[in-house]
Amino acid sequence: MSKVKISILVLSCLCIFFFSLFLTPSVMNPFTLNTLDRDILVSIRLPRLLVAALMGIALGASGAVLQGLLKNPLADPYILGISSGASLSAAMGLVSGIYLFGQFSIPFTAFAGAAVASLMVGAFGWKGGRLLPERLLLAGVGMSFLFYAALMLLISISTHEGMRRAVLWIFGDLSMADWSLIPWGVLFIVAGLGISLSRARALNALMLGDELAHSLGFSVHRERLLLFTSIALMTSASVSLGGTIGFIGLLMPHIVRFMLGSDNRILIPVSALCGGAFLCIADTVGKSVLSPVEIPSGIVTAIIGSPYFLYLLRKKDVLGQ
Amino acid sequence: MSLVSKHTILEIGNIVFKYSGHMPLIRNLSFSVSEGEFIGLLGPNGSGKSTLLKLAGGILKPSEGRVRLWGKDLQSVPNKDRAKLLCYLPQLLDIGVPFRVKEIVSMGFYPYDILPKMSVDEALDMVGLRDKAESYITHLSGGERRRAFIAMTLLQGAGLLLLDEPLANLDIKYQLEIFRLLRYLRKEKNISIIMALHDINIALQFEKVILMKDGDILCFGSPEDVLTTSLLREAFDVNIEISKQESGEAYISYGHDI
Repeated sequence: MSKVKISILVLSCLCIFFFSLFLTPSVMNPFTLNTLDRDILVSIRLPRLLVAALMGIALGASGAVLQGLLKNPLADPYILGISSGASLSAAMGLVSGIYLFGQFSIPFTAFAGAAVASLMVGAFGWKGGRLLPERLLLAGVGMSFLFYAALMLLISISTHEGMRRAVLWIFGDLSMADWSLIPWGVLFIVAGLGISLSRARALNALMLGDELAHSLGFSVHRERLLLFTSIALMTSASVSLGGTIGFIGLLMPHIVRFMLGSDNRILIPVSALCGGAFLCIADTVGKSVLSPVEIPSGIVTAIIGSPYFLYLLRKKDVLGQ
Repeated sequence: MSLVSKHTILEIGNIVFKYSGHMPLIRNLSFSVSEGEFIGLLGPNGSGKSTLLKLAGGILKPSEGRVRLWGKDLQSVPNKDRAKLLCYLPQLLDIGVPFRVKEIVSMGFYPYDILPKMSVDEALDMVGLRDKAESYITHLSGGERRRAFIAMTLLQGAGLLLLDEPLANLDIKYQLEIFRLLRYLRKEKNISIIMALHDINIALQFEKVILMKDGDILCFGSPEDVLTTSLLREAFDVNIEISKQESGEAYISYGHDI
């Protein structure tokens, strides 16, 4: 039964990718493309689709890993303060006016901020030679508030013209997507996804508790550190590609868990795939509904996702309790 | 029935355990367990039963002394190899995650690269939970949940089970059900079991009993030798009398303390 459900989900996601690429905002026939269509497809639509898919994949997978790692169904990749660290860093980069890396400046400073935030949260969550989930969560929440406070202060006192761009980016802006960042995004996201998939059994065991995980032959602290690293890699790459897009990391693992169960060997890859497809839908809706005005994808994901999530919660408890 | 002990599988040698800056929880304690032994670990709250099981399972590292598993220093045994030899089940199995029973049981395969001979269905049959394979673990009763985790240990194939109060918070029906199951598994698969418990009547049914107090072993031997009025008074600080029925079966009464 699960194999049928997984096949249907994979097929649906592939259809969504196809639909997003060829059918919106205007219909293109993939078999009769002229030169202009091909240019639009390769230069605009395909990189945007890939950025959306990569971000969704990273958020879906890291949400599934984080919910398992913290044993907390309300955990979202952004709860660890990685996105707020990235946002603050990017805004500081814009205000300083130093563009050391040209067009890469915003994503680079965002990634640097995300990496520093990950290290800081990891350092605060570390005690007695191990990473403690409760400390990690509290450190993430604390750091997140601190970074957001600094960001809001920067936005309120700054008159820099780039700040509007920064605010748009904070809410998830895919309109500037191009090929330049995709190889880096692929590199970090594939690395993070690879680590998390290879540690999926360990994550299952950790969800039973540290003592049972140890009894099943896992080095609890090593596995937790590897899983945190995978989350940090995927979330940092995602934020650098297109800003902070909420709800996918929280929502996708729950929807997949509701349909296919809690086994992380299935949950992580399917949440990744569905996250990618969902962000493609959100981006398509965002650029089509009020065309030519674009709605940031982060807003669309919340508007589409929240009612469906509440429907699931009402129809059948997604926590299985 | 007593089994002929051929091999010593667990040796605890002069172990001491203490958290930094605190009084020792385990004080210079030694004992060994042979293949197929069924041992009850008895003692008042805080006597060190759970700590001892965690030390034996490698979850805690002794401050002094050593734990040897099948003749090897436990700390030097690689994690996956250790998991094939011993299995520890904690007292609290309050899993909030909605795993299905079959998913939990199949985790017993995790230490293996090649699937062992026993299947999930066979393990569930042995613990009488075949019809609950698709149920969420969160929907099971306390006794059923215990049985599901015992099925997991069967797939894990470990020869030594360390069980921390598997009968705690269960009503008498489920206590007997779990106890019978463990005795059956020990007989069928020659698994050695060390099990912490509080019920002295059930402790009377074990082949050997370890009586603990203040982080040390007060007495280790057959129930007849260990569960005496004087030793139980020393351990629990209450008057407990051991009586015998006409059939010869021993039972306890609390004398004037109740």
